[in-house]
Amino acid sequence: MKGESRGHYIGPVVTTEPTPLECHEVTKVFGDNLAAARSLLADGVDRQQVLDRTGCLVAVRDATFSVERGETFVVMGLSGSGKSTLIRCLSRLIEPTSGTVKIDGTPIGDLDDQELRELRRQRLSMVFQHFGLFPHRKVIDNVAFGLEIQGAAKADRYERAFEVLSVVGLGDWADHFPQQLSGGMQQRVGLARALCVEPEILFFDEPFSALDPLIRRDMQDELLSLQARMRRTLVFITHDFHEALKLGDRIAIMKDGEFVQVGTPEQIVSAPADDYVREFTEDAPKTKVITVGSVMRPLDGEVPAGAPVSLDAVLDDVLPRLLANPAALPVADDQGEVVGTVDRDRVVALLDENSRSGAAGVGRNADQL
Amino acid sequence: MTAAPPATGSSEVAGAVEARLTLDRRRRTRSGSELAVGLAIVVAAQLALSSVGGFPESWAIGLSDWIDDARRWVINNQTTHWSFSFIFNPISDSIDWGLRIVERFLLWLPWYVVAAAGGMVAASALGMRAGLLAAVGVLYFGAIELWEESLQTVALMTVAVGISVAIGVPVGIASARYDRLRRSLRPLLDAMQTLPAFVYLIPVVLLFGVARVPAIIATVVYALPPVIRLTDLGIRTVSPATVEAAEMFGATPRQTLRKVQLPQALPSVLTGINQTIMMALSIVVIAALIGAGGLGQVVLESLRRLFVGRALEAGLAIVVLAMLMDRVTHGAAGLGTRRRRLRLMPDSLERLGFVRAFESALESLDRFLCRVGASLASPLRRTPGLAALARHPRWALGLVALVVVTIASAVLGRPEFPSAISFSFAPAIDWLVDWVRDNLYEIGGTWFGTGWFSDSITIYAVTPLRELFSADLAWPVVVLAVALAGWRLGGAPLATFCTACVAGLGFLGMWTLSMDTLAQVVVAVVMAIICGIPLGVLAARSDRFERLLKPVLDFLQTIPSFVLLVPVIIMFNVGRIPGIIASVLYALPAATRLTNLGIRQVEGEATEASRAFGATRGQTLRKVQLPLAAPSIMAGINQTVMLVLAMVVIAGLVGGGGLGLETVKGLRRTDSVGSGFVAGLAIVLLAMLLDRLLQAWTRRFTPVEGGP
Repeated sequence: MKGESRGHYIGPVVTTEPTPLECHEVTKVFGDNLAAARSLLADGVDRQQVLDRTGCLVAVRDATFSVERGETFVVMGLSGSGKSTLIRCLSRLIEPTSGTVKIDGTPIGDLDDQELRELRRQRLSMVFQHFGLFPHRKVIDNVAFGLEIQGAAKADRYERAFEVLSVVGLGDWADHFPQQLSGGMQQRVGLARALCVEPEILFFDEPFSALDPLIRRDMQDELLSLQARMRRTLVFITHDFHEALKLGDRIAIMKDGEFVQVGTPEQIVSAPADDYVREFTEDAPKTKVITVGSVMRPLDGEVPAGAPVSLDAVLDDVLPRLLANPAALPVADDQGEVVGTVDRDRVVALLDENSRSGAAGVGRNADQL
Repeated sequence: MTAAPPATGSSEVAGAVEARLTLDRRRRTRSGSELAVGLAIVVAAQLALSSVGGFPESWAIGLSDWIDDARRWVINNQTTHWSFSFIFNPISDSIDWGLRIVERFLLWLPWYVVAAAGGMVAASALGMRAGLLAAVGVLYFGAIELWEESLQTVALMTVAVGISVAIGVPVGIASARYDRLRRSLRPLLDAMQTLPAFVYLIPVVLLFGVARVPAIIATVVYALPPVIRLTDLGIRTVSPATVEAAEMFGATPRQTLRKVQLPQALPSVLTGINQTIMMALSIVVIAALIGAGGLGQVVLESLRRLFVGRALEAGLAIVVLAMLMDRVTHGAAGLGTRRRRLRLMPDSLERLGFVRAFESALESLDRFLCRVGASLASPLRRTPGLAALARHPRWALGLVALVVVTIASAVLGRPEFPSAISFSFAPAIDWLVDWVRDNLYEIGGTWFGTGWFSDSITIYAVTPLRELFSADLAWPVVVLAVALAGWRLGGAPLATFCTACVAGLGFLGMWTLSMDTLAQVVVAVVMAIICGIPLGVLAARSDRFERLLKPVLDFLQTIPSFVLLVPVIIMFNVGRIPGIIASVLYALPAATRLTNLGIRQVEGEATEASRAFGATRGQTLRKVQLPLAAPSIMAGINQTVMLVLAMVVIAGLVGGGGLGLETVKGLRRTDSVGSGFVAGLAIVLLAMLLDRLLQAWTRRFTPVEGGP
């Protein structure tokens, strides 16, 4: 991992970047009787039993995942599922009980206070559920806070803060106090404050849940467009399944402190791991998530007429054509080569089945059906 | 109410109703019979022990002699023992040194500079009018020929409050950060706030003797809790999300404190400092008992010689000082109405053309001065530490002006406070005292008058109660009664505690004096409740009455307690009754305020629902508002009792007798420090006893929290 080890390599030096964020079996237990709780956990005793026997609450249990550069990783769970604890373990705002968190390959559990502060100053940032804005500071000083803490000169930090404020569309509000702004605007300030330090990894702790639905949608769209431009590594916590589908490249569903399922939105919607996940997927907008690729039949024989649709297109995109035309449509891969067909019956069967019982195994390998 | 089955109901319902009524009746008889049994036990015990009387004096443990020995030891070893040469004397010397510097400086300043400075501070916090009033207030000190004494008190306050803040803010910060420290501080702070002020005086006298330094130390101990508590509270109530955000941005604990927590806690900290100042001022007179000097000494001396007029003059100076400091710190904390207005004249006069012209001339003068100040101060903009002045040109200008005038006066010879500015209303007050004594004591030769009032209270309430408690009732009966009450309200632990407290009074050798004080306290509390609660109910029901009452209550709560003594002495002369009446006046606001608050806090919906069912206002009050307000009212009664107890020593100053008088004697004369200390201890026991009992009682009124 260190530079000096490279010299011993024989053969080509592999210059893959380290994964920005890796979590290995991160567990957080709250309570006084940690030793007992830990040994029970090692024996695989469940959460309720641990609570009954030791009085300790297992907030997060064996969370293992990694997030790629530029990826948006969403952790979705209901309140009390441990998602807020998990995101705080990633920056050691809460100290994990066991497990390792690596940021750019460095295990952060080994850092001392000063190194941890440096890490937070340089690489991480967070947007909070209730904004966490400083009521005694003007908007501009809120945004510039991170740079101030790093010891940046006033002129420099204001310049950068103004820049970021105008990115989130609040350039004219620099001299107001946060309380004078609406909820949506306050969270824009929170976002600007997080972006101001140019972090590599951004944590979002249910940032939009305190906003009303229309504002929430605007903010989601804004985050998507910002992310399209900036390509940061995001970890996003939410209790809103739709939000998770909309924002996430991958989603982890959390229940009682454990990951129930990790996958792309499509994987989760089309193949929920258990009944708990299925309940969320039931009223999910499946046609916006499931791609043509997952419902097509492999090509056998002739290519149907008509312009081919892309493997990655979601059902919403092809539904109008399918409804207008009962015949099958050709499906083409990235190279434009037709690899299969999709027809109305296929889609109807899938949606129907999915909404009734949730057919396990409806995935990319649909030919098994 | 008989349980006739309803004609239309089924027999099942009738049965349920019958059962419910029986249950209700049984519960009522049970609590009634418990009371009856308790009374019966007490009466039987009294009959059996009727010849026992008060606590046997030979059983006293003689604590006061030990204390006197300790005092003698301190005096003999003050110069030699290490604890004095390395701990107490250096503390004492450095406080004395600080006090001298502040005092000399204040007295060295020409009088007009002091007045102008007071005015400026008030003006910057509250506006021009307040500034002008403050300057006039400062001049009052000179006008009544108490210039030196007033500034002595100001110096003492400055040092005491300075020390309190220097200790209190860091301790508050530490206690906000470390839960363990907070947990160990809490009972200490609770005790400091529950105990009457003078209790600290005695140990301080023991260690440091009678002088200004011990007075400062006692003041600091008394005034410290609010600033610690409110700093702690302020930091703890900073929204945790902001602290987390700061941490997330990599702020060090120090950065978090300085940039996030302290700024947000500032209003709370300033409120704490405000309360500390007010508490320090409230014991100016008591501190004078152990040699604080200044205005307190004047009040004390005048009261002792019954120069009522002079006492009132000096007392008023303390009130002026208190109001000045209260308003200014309030303004600085941004708690009051933040109207920094330039206007000098009352708003109502602004219809008049010349008033408007005057105001606008004043405004343009101010603008001009600001510009001058800004240009003068602009070179300071880059100087660290003084840059703030450049942002506040008025301050800069005013400060420069004050310094220039001070130096000029120093060069030209410092003028004394001009004797031309002088007035005294003492003769008028003294005349009033004589007139009241001659005319109101017995109005027009009838039986009616203040004399009758005070005699009746003495004859029908205070004396019989005192006799009952101290002589007629056998002491084991008193202990038994208190123990039973404690047992009923709080079970065995409370019963044990109460028994220990009451028995403690006897073992301290303070039985008779304690029972005397108890009788006075009971009478004062009953009077305060009889007046206070109905006033609170009225205030809750009529906004207009509340508006009328508020300034009166504010006044009663703001002025130092002994000032209440003056009008009371005018009306009732000296003795136990003026002490009682002053205690009633002092404690009344608590009962009234909390009753009013309790009723007003009853949810509007509950009251509305009651009215929607057609309840009369009286029914709504009795069946909805009062029961829901009960916890608050009980808290008010609890506070009333504690306030009355806090007045015990003050009442001792005007011949209240009992423990108060004994404590005062102990503070005045070094040879009776021991008995004074023991009397103080007895007051503490009494206070703890009543406080615990009342708190246990209050808890029974608190509604059950939380649902299934």
